[in-house]
Amino acid sequence: MYKRKRSGTVAYIVLLSGTVGLITSIVFSSSILALIGLGLTFWGALLLFIKPTKYVKASLLDSATLSLLKTIDQIIANLNNKGKAIYLPPKHLKALKGGTVFIPSEKDLIIPPAEEIAEEKVFLKNPQGIFITAPGLDLVNLFENELGKDFTKVDLNYLQNNLPKLFIEDLEIAENLEMSIKSDRMRVIIREPINKDFCKEARKLSNICCSIGCPLCSSIAIAMSRTTGKPVIIEKEELSTDDKTIEIYYRIIEE
Amino acid sequence: MQFPLSFWDISLWLAITAIILLISAEMLSPYYGKINIRIDRKRLRNVAFVVSILFLVTVAVRIINIFFPG
Repeated sequence: MYKRKRSGTVAYIVLLSGTVGLITSIVFSSSILALIGLGLTFWGALLLFIKPTKYVKASLLDSATLSLLKTIDQIIANLNNKGKAIYLPPKHLKALKGGTVFIPSEKDLIIPPAEEIAEEKVFLKNPQGIFITAPGLDLVNLFENELGKDFTKVDLNYLQNNLPKLFIEDLEIAENLEMSIKSDRMRVIIREPINKDFCKEARKLSNICCSIGCPLCSSIAIAMSRTTGKPVIIEKEELSTDDKTIEIYYRIIEE
Repeated sequence: MQFPLSFWDISLWLAITAIILLISAEMLSPYYGKINIRIDRKRLRNVAFVVSILFLVTVAVRIINIFFPG
């Protein structure tokens, strides 16, 4: 049977040697031993402290998520829904931390009445369409937790100023993120996202890309709908020829 | 039996460690694209700051000793 080695073993050995060195230095009054012991104890403790909580290989994560998006794509294709996914703001939803997408059967951008939304049905008859949980819902809740802010209580400028730092420094999702807002439209440029391979695969799913979007694009759409309090759609999604940059265009819909 | 390092030895050790940690934290910053090393960068940066502050405290103690000897 193959058993994985514990990753903290080296750190524990260094820490233990350091402690032994420190004790020995006191017994023999040796400053050299004390310096060695202090150094080893410190670096051993540091190695244990800076060890990441959990890392998952990107390929593993992509494989697990892609099949779920394929399922959504198949459902939409079978129902023959032609409309663009509309990200509904929290005022339409029961849960403030919720994120629901309405996909109308026709190309017109129709927002269903509040009574229909309140029933929390998946398949709607008037107007015809489906309600599904947005793929980026938990991701946007993670953004809120990391920033310690409720997106319903901030404005678009806050997103523009804080999302780049969150994406680059805090969560290390991408190498760069730029946001530009022009009246009811927003353009987001993500350079070298960690899910670029996933994005490339998701582009093959016609009902996902440019409609619901991948979890990353979806999370930004939910953040926008929470911030503005208005429905949002993903108008266009473009992947650069070198597969390194994603450009996403969002539009806020006036009710 | 007593600890063989003096306060100033510890101060020097803290200075060297702080420099190493601050440089490592900066080199591993995602802004430089070195994001393949699997460590908690935020914690490393915090430790670097703490060690630097500890060194500065020892410097402050030294300055106070100059102005108020004894």
